[in-house]
Amino acid sequence: MIISRRAALLGAAAMTLCKPALAQDATWPSQPQHVYVGFPAGSSPDLLARIVTEPLAEKLGQPIVIENKPGAGGVIGIQQMLNAQDQKNTFATTINGPLTTAPRLTPSLGYDVAEDIVPVTLIATSPLVLVVAADFPAEDLADFVQAAGKEPEALAYGSVGKGSGAHLTAELFSDRAGVEMLHIPFTSYAEVTTAIIGHEIDCGFMAPSAAMQYVEAGKVKILGITSATPFAQAPGVPVMAGQAGLPDDFRAELWNAFIAPAGTEAATVDTLSTHINAILADEAVQKRLLDMGWQAAGGSAEELQQRIAEDTKVWGAVLDRIDAKE
Amino acid sequence: MNGWDGFLHGLSVATQPGVLIYCVLGVLLGTFVGVLPGIGAMATISLLLPITYYLSPEAALVMLAGVYYGSQYGGAVASILLRLPGTPQSAITTLDGYPLAQQGRAGVALFTSMISSFAGSMIGILVLILLSGALAQAAIAFGAAEYAAMMILGLVAASTVGAKHPAKSMAMVVLGLILGCVGTDVNSGEQRFIFGQTELMDGINLVALAMGLFGVAEVISNIRVAERTGVPPRVALRDFLPSRAELRRIPFPALRGASLGSFFGALPGTGSTISSFLAYATERRISRRSEQFGKGAIEGIAGPEAANNAAAISAFVPTLSLGIPGDPIMALMLGALVIHGVQPGPMMLDARPDMFWGLIASFGIGNLLLLVLNLPLIGIWVSMLRIPFRWLYPAILIFVSLGVYSVRGSSFDIFAVALIGVIGYALSLARFNPALLLLGFVLGPLIETNLRRALLIGRGDPMVFLQRPIAAAFILAAGALIVMAVVQVLRRRSTDAVETES
Repeated sequence: MIISRRAALLGAAAMTLCKPALAQDATWPSQPQHVYVGFPAGSSPDLLARIVTEPLAEKLGQPIVIENKPGAGGVIGIQQMLNAQDQKNTFATTINGPLTTAPRLTPSLGYDVAEDIVPVTLIATSPLVLVVAADFPAEDLADFVQAAGKEPEALAYGSVGKGSGAHLTAELFSDRAGVEMLHIPFTSYAEVTTAIIGHEIDCGFMAPSAAMQYVEAGKVKILGITSATPFAQAPGVPVMAGQAGLPDDFRAELWNAFIAPAGTEAATVDTLSTHINAILADEAVQKRLLDMGWQAAGGSAEELQQRIAEDTKVWGAVLDRIDAKE
Repeated sequence: MNGWDGFLHGLSVATQPGVLIYCVLGVLLGTFVGVLPGIGAMATISLLLPITYYLSPEAALVMLAGVYYGSQYGGAVASILLRLPGTPQSAITTLDGYPLAQQGRAGVALFTSMISSFAGSMIGILVLILLSGALAQAAIAFGAAEYAAMMILGLVAASTVGAKHPAKSMAMVVLGLILGCVGTDVNSGEQRFIFGQTELMDGINLVALAMGLFGVAEVISNIRVAERTGVPPRVALRDFLPSRAELRRIPFPALRGASLGSFFGALPGTGSTISSFLAYATERRISRRSEQFGKGAIEGIAGPEAANNAAAISAFVPTLSLGIPGDPIMALMLGALVIHGVQPGPMMLDARPDMFWGLIASFGIGNLLLLVLNLPLIGIWVSMLRIPFRWLYPAILIFVSLGVYSVRGSSFDIFAVALIGVIGYALSLARFNPALLLLGFVLGPLIETNLRRALLIGRGDPMVFLQRPIAAAFILAAGALIVMAVVQVLRRRSTDAVETES
């Protein structure tokens, strides 16, 4: 399958060479644009894509159709973008997983991140918070690390599945803090929160937006946040880096990015990147993103490329550690 | 604000013209898509989602919810008339509804289903008003051990659905359990039986399975029948209203179904499909006419239809009060709430009482509308049976393909439904009961995930299932059911032996 698609890609590339490149630049975009999202309508990545593509459609002067192709943690969205074989009018927004950890976790991935995907720009980032039940006997991260360090697997944490951001962040945290926690996989943050409130498990890393209302209701408390700086959506929550024996550069963030299939012209990538960065600079857009737990990011295609490479390395090391434990 | 005050306040919200009109629209649309096999609430709600940007949050949610519970009414229509479940929840209704329709009693079956659906919804609403706080608490008390124990009880209780041929029934449940294993294992992250297909990583699509087993398989077998007979079976249009004796067979099954449905619907992750199966199993077990089940028993329609409608209502309890969606459709509703700036969860009752109670009051109004709307429509639905097969069946296949595709925009699922249809036809030729396969498929992953999760949390100690009182009660009940079944079989054997001797 991979070979046939690559061959087809080559064919498509050859065809593009036959036509004068300049004429294409002048006409793009001449038809509706398609943006693939690997999550269902109404999900957080879908809402984020809609917030960004609405003004983008205005700037491009062409409607943008969101193609929800959910499945396999976002991988199917990218596969479908590549299958569309249209390097002019199809793009995708994706979370970090399909670009960083999926090559390790998904045997039948069907694409090579470096060869098949052109980064356009980062859209937004989201830190995770460490959540425990309101009556958990720890007031800060130092107490927590002490409780977790009493014996291996003294505490159990919930995640939204093996290889998920919540799982990898907890393992990165355990490694840096020098503790061993028991991993209990769930399928959604809501399930994890219920299990914490019901005292089935002790803690979990999750998106601030999934936790804040339970904090307000007095059911859970937050012991720290994984971003490098405090996060507006989680006011008063201390940054973890540098605390309780964690290194100063401790950072774990989920992100969402705009990408294109390999073969997309550099001029197109530039135009998209410029527009999206302008959109992300708008305060109204920033606020809408923040309400959903996303911090507008932006940046150049090169910066996104670098972020993919860095995270692939960091999370790859965490996956090695998990594999070694099993 | 207590339940009743809240409900009255909600009525004032839900009867505002700007909200009421969307309630009517929602339930109409819901009934319609429910009737179409394969196209269900899920697809419709995702399509409507972008449009709701332009509505007030109350109107938007009332409309989307109307589509959801309206589709439950419509789902039964196709199940009864064509043996094609309009929605997976109504799959079990085919077992007795379709035989009734074949006997020319389609009107009676539809009437039973409508009345029971209405009763189920109303009881569900009552439970929601009186117990929403308590139910939310119960949902938190339910941990992995409780879920696993409850599902085991459910599987044991429901595996008597096709009790006539125990070995064949068992084979179907087990095949369902195996198909349920396909996809990424939640506990280990391993991918099982996906044969290199990324599309299978999240498992086999439930809609594809239900539509293939029931819908496509039924179309294939009818093509054969149609060739032989040449003309569609004649349907008597009279006898819409059930006889008094038949009417008397509705209330108690509906009541029992509604109680089961209200309870299971409130537990996140169990959902209305399972509650309709359990209601059917319960009715079959306690009925004095158990030999009629599968041949057109009124109870076999009343119980499950009341159950899935009650569950559709009480499924809003965990969604609204805990922010935990019970099934994919509820997850979509949750997304819709978030779009409109409403964060469902423990704060919602205090923060947005208008929304919470307005929605619940709209359930009452919507269900009343559905009843008033659907009873006169029974005649029209029945006349659907007179559409010539050469038009009806191609149309059904198109709707099934559309519906399956719309769940996650995947053409893979269309091929899957075709393949499953062929398998379903083979199974029906060999007289296997596909409903049991569906049951195993739905329950299997829930049992496995929760069983292993409970053991993980209990650090490997199997006693967790007996140390927790709720879990222990379920396990004991399951044990008692098995003992009862064994005793029954032994007793029957000994009477058989006596009869042969004499």
